[in-house]
Amino acid sequence: MNALELSHLKVMLGEKTVLDDLSFTLAQGQIAALLGPSGCGKTTLLRSIAGLIRPSEGQIRFGKQLVSFSSVHLPPHKRKIGYVPQEGALFPHLNIMENIAFGIDRTIFTKDQIRQTTKEMLALTGMEGFGHRMPHQLSGGQQTRVALARALAIKPSIVLMDEPFAALDAELRTELRTDVINLLRSQNTTAILVTHDREEGLVSADVIALMREGKIVQSGTPEDVYSSPISPALAISTGDALILQASERADGSTDYILNPIKSSSQSITQGHIVIRPEEIKLNRTISASSINGLITKIDYYGHDAMVSIDIAKEHLQVRIPGPFDFTVGEQVALEHVGPLRFFANK
Amino acid sequence: MVTTTPNATHNWPAAHTSSQRAWRVGLNVAVGVVAALSLIPFIYLLVRASDKPFSEISALLLRTKTLEVLTTTALLVTCVVVITLTLGVAIASGLHFVALPFRRLLIIPTVLPLAIPSYVFTYTWVALIPSFSGFAAAVFILSLSTIPYIILATLAGLRSVDGSQIEVARSLGLNYRQTFTRVIWPQIKGHVSAGALLVGLYTMSDFGAVSLLNVETLTVTIQNMYRASYDRSAAAVISFVLIAFSILFVFGDEAIKRRSAKGQIVKTFSVKNSLIRKNYLRVSITAVILIFTIIAVIIPFYVLFSRFFSNPVPIDYTDLARATFATISVAAVGALIALLLSAPIGLLLSGKMTKFGQISNKIIVIGHALPGVVVGLALVSVGSKLGPLYQTTLLLAFAYALLFLAKSVISMSSSLARVPSGVKDVAATLGMNPWSVVRKVIAPIAAPGIGVGTILVFLTAMKELPATLMLRPTGFETLATNIWSAGSINRFNEAAPYALILVLVAAIPTFLISRPDHDDRAYIDNSAGGDK
Repeated sequence: MNALELSHLKVMLGEKTVLDDLSFTLAQGQIAALLGPSGCGKTTLLRSIAGLIRPSEGQIRFGKQLVSFSSVHLPPHKRKIGYVPQEGALFPHLNIMENIAFGIDRTIFTKDQIRQTTKEMLALTGMEGFGHRMPHQLSGGQQTRVALARALAIKPSIVLMDEPFAALDAELRTELRTDVINLLRSQNTTAILVTHDREEGLVSADVIALMREGKIVQSGTPEDVYSSPISPALAISTGDALILQASERADGSTDYILNPIKSSSQSITQGHIVIRPEEIKLNRTISASSINGLITKIDYYGHDAMVSIDIAKEHLQVRIPGPFDFTVGEQVALEHVGPLRFFANK
Repeated sequence: MVTTTPNATHNWPAAHTSSQRAWRVGLNVAVGVVAALSLIPFIYLLVRASDKPFSEISALLLRTKTLEVLTTTALLVTCVVVITLTLGVAIASGLHFVALPFRRLLIIPTVLPLAIPSYVFTYTWVALIPSFSGFAAAVFILSLSTIPYIILATLAGLRSVDGSQIEVARSLGLNYRQTFTRVIWPQIKGHVSAGALLVGLYTMSDFGAVSLLNVETLTVTIQNMYRASYDRSAAAVISFVLIAFSILFVFGDEAIKRRSAKGQIVKTFSVKNSLIRKNYLRVSITAVILIFTIIAVIIPFYVLFSRFFSNPVPIDYTDLARATFATISVAAVGALIALLLSAPIGLLLSGKMTKFGQISNKIIVIGHALPGVVVGLALVSVGSKLGPLYQTTLLLAFAYALLFLAKSVISMSSSLARVPSGVKDVAATLGMNPWSVVRKVIAPIAAPGIGVGTILVFLTAMKELPATLMLRPTGFETLATNIWSAGSINRFNEAAPYALILVLVAAIPTFLISRPDHDDRAYIDNSAGGDK
């Protein structure tokens, strides 16, 4: 059973088409990361799912329920969506308890029940003892926790988070992200996380959806999307990638700088090959048959390093795990150990 | 009254160097002088009132007439505040949230009544309906002329509420009405209360409309006592009643503000408002605005124009030009003086909040509660002892500045508070002394807001009547005094050209203040979805 199903969604803002023929599904309990450059429509997609924008074409289903299709439009307050916009948008006039309790239906639950749920949410998000503070007295990370608690308190069918960690520093970001993902998983909550941090998407989600100009152009598991990009450009959106000139022979062999094929009379297809920097191994055993290059620079990151290497006129970047003992100015042999991803020129 | 206590989260760089210390001392001295100037009317009234023996004061206060007038005033203020609040908040919310046709332009007619002085308003309606008079008529006129205060204040409040909060509230299961009462109203009620305070003070101190409509309020009583018998002590005693009444309002407003959300802004990613496209809302709000425009703008303008053109008496254009020039120049000088006087207190309030700064601010705010009649009375008396200054236009301009100083201070301190504190620090580390920081960094950033405040003083001063009547040099006529001296409705034709020019001249700054182009944060949403 899909918790969320979008099909052929089209959204116009004024005269501008922001989402165009967008389709996507998400199973119950799955977490999706929406990756894409600024302005590609990520926020608009979230707001359409929340019902804050009405699509002009296509349909949206929550489970079996059709919430948006031509004349059908379930208003946002009937969708039970946990929406966490950028910067959290806490209500500045309410304290933390009141913020969290805000969406709990007062006509259904008693005061005690509401208080109980609020306390649970405070505990769940690690914010015990902050209930009586006002939003402006909290740090950015704490505000994000409260915004999430407020969204979860209504037991939403889907949680939508718009770059919730964008404003935080690296350490806090990792910690909070881990907490939030664990929390969502423990509640078996279906969620969509908008981010433009590639690693954040890969590490948190079950499904990665890559967006370009109002469309989801590729989606799949993180491993899938990372290792099998459908175009060189999309390879870059999930991680560093080398895009090298290449040509494919009729016999299936590929000619590129790390695998030069000498003479050939076969018909060839010109194109590019995509290599991840960690798919190239370096070693010191240089021979006449090996592909050799000169180390021109080493960017040291601690756990690994990015080594810049010049081969002939090409300039490659290779990621090597630490510890290592290569130095700048050294000759090294290069070996490509990863899959061949050839993309023919159009 | 927006007694802006800016979010002084940051202190002015600590006064380490001698230039900074000198700056601080200078600022405090300047603020002290301004606060002392604002106290002049109070001190005068106190001295005057104490001329009378206590028994006479209590007899004056307790006589039936006084109580009657007090009741009338209270009733009038209550009616006007309730009506303007209801209509003003509805109109402003409609303009802000609903996809109305020409919504940006629709703001203009809703604030245009600010350009029409209440006495001109009254003239036009009396010209239309000769029997137009009495309490209900006064409520009608004063409500129409003061609604813009509520609309402007509410709009300012609404624009400060981030759209993303509304979206979150909607996603948490609230419909539009619940979103308004639980998210928006708590955050704007401080602004709305400030608008209501302005309406209350305006109504209390209005002289023109009520006296033309034969409604005796405290202001009319004071003016009559002063004019008829020159019994200034009695006038002073009644003035105190009026002041006490006004102070009650100021404190009421402060109490509401204290309980309402603090202006503490949680950093939010600003989201545009998506406009509501419900047809019944679009039609009803547009209808309300149209009706309001017809009775508060079109009818007065129509009457003024038709009287102007049907005027059988030849218009004395030299006189008209002279009065126009006099009005503009005195009001402009008054606005300039107010600007200068409000600079020190604005700077002080935008920095570290001190007790002294707070007290000075309160004094100036309460000074705003003083009606023109009272300030006029005080300055006539003080001025007559000043020799050469008495009966000069400069004294009149100074009276305007004193009367409307609070308007200038409010916009000054809120604009200055908006200057990011980091900017001041950076300027200081780049080697600028405090004065250069003000000149090169703070002033340019805060200028637009301060400009609006100054324009507001200018606009109000042009329309001011009671203080002008008392303080103008003999033979000096402004547009307002010319309109007034036509005296009765029978000679309204003679006053029409002056009224028309005054309204047209005042319409320009009003237009500038309404800033229809200012709201660029909303866009038309395709969603027709709302409450179902």
